[in-house]
Amino acid sequence: MEPADKSLAKAPRSLPGKVFDLLSGFGLATITLILLGLLTLFATLEQVEHGLYPTINKYFSTDWKSIIILPDFEFLRINDKLVPIPVPGGYWLCAILLVNLILGGMIRIRKGWQHYGNLISHFGIIFLLVGAGVTFHYSERGNMAINEGESSNVAVDYLEYVVEVAEIKAGKPDKIHVIRGKDIANLEGEKRRKFRFPELPFDLELTAYMNDCVPVSSTERAPDQNQYIADGYFLMEKPKLAKAEPAESYTAGCYARILPHGGAKSAPFILAGASFQPFTYRVGERVFTVDMHKRLWVMPFTVKLDEFTAAFHPGTTMASKFVSKVTRSENGGDAKATIQMNEPMRYEGLTFFQASYGPIGAGPGQKMFSIFEIVKNPADQWPKYSLIIVAIGMAVTFLIKLGSFIVGGSHKKSHV
Amino acid sequence: MSNSSSKIGRWIAAGLAIAVLLAVFYNVAVDNMPKGEVRQVEGYTPWDKETLKVAETIPIQNGGRIKPLSTYAGFTMLGMHGARSMEISGSDGKSVKIKPTEWLMDTLFRPQLAAKQPTFRVDNSSILEAIGVKTRGKRDRYSYADIEPARDKLNKLAATYKAIEKDKRDPAQQQTIALAANLSEYESLLWYFSFARSGVLLVASEEKGAVDKRAEISDVMVTVPEILKQVAAQEARGEKMGAFQQGLLQQIFDVANYAYNGLFILPPADANQDIWLSAGVSIMKPITDPKKDPTLAIEDVKSLETVVRSAYGNEASFRTNLISLRDNLAKRAEARGEYRHIKMEASFYRMDWFLNALACFIFGTLTALAMWTVGKGTAGRILAWCTFASTATGLGLCIIAIVQRCIIMQRPPVGNLYDTIIFIAATVVLISLLIEWMTRRRFALGIAPILGTLLIILSRRFELGDAKDYMDPLIAVLDSNYWLTTHVLTITLGYAAGLLSAFLAFIYLLMRGLGLDNGDRDIRRSLTRAVYGMICFTLFLALVGTVLGGIWANDSWGRFWGWDPKENGALLIVLWTLAILHGRLGGYIKEWGLHFAAVFTAAVVTFSWWHVNFLNTGLHNYGFTAGKTTIWMFYGLIVLILCFGLIAKTVEGRNKNRAVLE
Repeated sequence: MEPADKSLAKAPRSLPGKVFDLLSGFGLATITLILLGLLTLFATLEQVEHGLYPTINKYFSTDWKSIIILPDFEFLRINDKLVPIPVPGGYWLCAILLVNLILGGMIRIRKGWQHYGNLISHFGIIFLLVGAGVTFHYSERGNMAINEGESSNVAVDYLEYVVEVAEIKAGKPDKIHVIRGKDIANLEGEKRRKFRFPELPFDLELTAYMNDCVPVSSTERAPDQNQYIADGYFLMEKPKLAKAEPAESYTAGCYARILPHGGAKSAPFILAGASFQPFTYRVGERVFTVDMHKRLWVMPFTVKLDEFTAAFHPGTTMASKFVSKVTRSENGGDAKATIQMNEPMRYEGLTFFQASYGPIGAGPGQKMFSIFEIVKNPADQWPKYSLIIVAIGMAVTFLIKLGSFIVGGSHKKSHV
Repeated sequence: MSNSSSKIGRWIAAGLAIAVLLAVFYNVAVDNMPKGEVRQVEGYTPWDKETLKVAETIPIQNGGRIKPLSTYAGFTMLGMHGARSMEISGSDGKSVKIKPTEWLMDTLFRPQLAAKQPTFRVDNSSILEAIGVKTRGKRDRYSYADIEPARDKLNKLAATYKAIEKDKRDPAQQQTIALAANLSEYESLLWYFSFARSGVLLVASEEKGAVDKRAEISDVMVTVPEILKQVAAQEARGEKMGAFQQGLLQQIFDVANYAYNGLFILPPADANQDIWLSAGVSIMKPITDPKKDPTLAIEDVKSLETVVRSAYGNEASFRTNLISLRDNLAKRAEARGEYRHIKMEASFYRMDWFLNALACFIFGTLTALAMWTVGKGTAGRILAWCTFASTATGLGLCIIAIVQRCIIMQRPPVGNLYDTIIFIAATVVLISLLIEWMTRRRFALGIAPILGTLLIILSRRFELGDAKDYMDPLIAVLDSNYWLTTHVLTITLGYAAGLLSAFLAFIYLLMRGLGLDNGDRDIRRSLTRAVYGMICFTLFLALVGTVLGGIWANDSWGRFWGWDPKENGALLIVLWTLAILHGRLGGYIKEWGLHFAAVFTAAVVTFSWWHVNFLNTGLHNYGFTAGKTTIWMFYGLIVLILCFGLIAKTVEGRNKNRAVLE
């Protein structure tokens, strides 16, 4: 970006022109960058106390309410009272930066050989930001645990809790109806939503969703926040630990009611990620189950774990290598692959990473299991491409600047 | 600004710089020098240099790799004693300096003398008071003999403190746990060769005339298969094990137990087995692995016995036995491909490249200060050449050391926090010299040795605090020479560039604030251009390094960005430098502003490089807590510099206004 031409700056500007100047200007770029820096600093400090997932949800929420957020961490509290420092939400700041980059860094920028480097760099950064947006909105993540010698084609989502309704036929669930996490995660407090199932003899109403809770027996403990007691249990939010637990170990829960077609509502019951058994409902001879658990994600191929090896640096408990040898099966064909640290398996838009293994401390000959992290990200390789673009652009710019520094450099006087 | 006021300013600046440097050196010296009186160890005679050279190159397995005994000795001594050298007074009252290999040799082969050496550094005497040990000053060094009577109390207290959550322990509790651990490790070395000194007591039978005898453990090992056969036969007959056999086996267990940990010095015969054996494991071989041929284990134990026994005779014969042991172990390690860099590593620590580099940088710092003080003229030119020569020599020594470390580690130069410090030290000095070559203004020449000195001191302080061998192998996720070369080096270079831009800007503020530049616009412009260039360079390296890190994370953990504090720290550098450059291009910051912003870059780099490690969260968490105060002091220093700059700017503005009015 370069300052606008002087003659243009003097000419009276129309309102759209002024808006364009504002959105494409260095001022907006500088302020946005400083605010993004502050936001990054605050998010870094806040995640120490509140955990990564809630912090990122707060700082990068797409919700309109998150246009302004209030950071909350130790340094901002005086006598346990938070000093309010409103800052713009990260998602919206990134959006402003993107607009500024496009308008200022691509359109308004002065053109010419000396500025091509900047142009290329700006394009690279735009590409990176767009990639981040694609990842934010469209990527999916889960994990798959497989024992040695066994196969699987199902991954479990890391975070998303879903509600599944199914009719049991011959001891097995028949057609499974899935209510996705995005439709239930906002049903906090009194909010409720009715889910219609025309194929089933009932609908379902869900309410009072909590993203990290456990069902507690009311005979063991009285409700602390006047929670509803369903069948002798109520949902209690998990107490906060000194060190925030990772979001992967959250167990969601909510209250539900069966709404029979043409009948009276059932009594509320609890659906919880921490429960071991689903809720069962009978209509005559027909049996239905309603369950809450993490979303199961079916892969387009099956993976068999042939062998897992964990190697350690001699005489230590420090891992030197985790290697999973797998067979990928699809349409009757098999292919061998190796998945290890820094070397994932990429196939059909899915990437399998070596995430963990067990049992820890297994003896020789004991069967091992391997846990893979599975990511589906349409922008998986975009950062690599953007890096190449940015690096080329910056190298061009700085080499030109270095050249002019050396050529125009002043080595005339040699003292301080 | 008149010349005389400029001269006064120069002297003030030089005086301040010397005072700061003296304060740093005093702090380091106070922390490293032995406290209290020098201990006398009766009968102590130093080891012959030739003997030590042999001992240095004995290979041992420790920390997941094969290393020379001298490396192990260095870090073990550093951990316990808090320094790599110890001063005692020998039998003739003469002062003796004991270096790590000598210290370990004493511990292993002359335990009666070693027990009296002040091995344990105790920073808080209340720890010892709590266990009833007579103390001297608040911080002092104590011998094993001083602490041993209260050993049980110490262990009990440490066990109590271990039950407290790590974050909630106070420093005294933490130090008690550390002292107990050090004492236990020291005992594993002190009594390691007990088997060779005591042997096994063969209790005589009750027949007339029979007397008790002592036998070498290696000789007893030969009879173990037969003893086991007898025991099995007795068991088959339903008889109890004989008292003689039971006593003998118990003694074998006991002596093996003393030598079970400590030194893993014996390469296994099986090429597929990667864990080396301790003397204790070898002693137990005929019992734990009765189906395998015990010949090698017996020979190993015998050769160790020979060396240990000969330590009580004359040193020449001891040395001969030690050479024979070393050659045997080296040959076996070589056959396994594990002796390649042992000699180089032993020489690396013997040469102490970084200490020598520090000496060069200190000399360069003094000549640089003198160079700045005297200004132009012949003296200034001579001093400039002296500064350049000593700084370049220091840089050369750093480069040799870093290259040797790479060869020994078989990986790129940066893989942990310690590596970053020495790498940044060398890089900052190199870039400063390059800037000097481009500008010829002597400001970059002067700051090169100063930064070199400060960073090498920092590396030594860090090494002392952690007492960890940073050449040990890395965890699985870091085991990638490709990413260590690309991402880690780039980001570390980014830290170096950021720090250098901050220091150059500091020099600008100091010169302009104190009027050292005589108002020379040319010098100011030159410095501003250098700072601007370094900010650009920092941005380039930090941005490329950060994105490379994201790509690596995408391959390792399945995500490009995880909001990990270390990642965020690098992003902060990128955002801050971008903000500076855009602010500058938009005309929002001018010359003063650029330098203020560049000075603040040091705080951003410090947050990213060091501070995030203390947050105790994220995948890059190193989990250490010592040194947090220093970081806050550094932030405070940056604020002071900025305040100084603001005052200088205000004063200059007022003077200008007054001049216009007059």
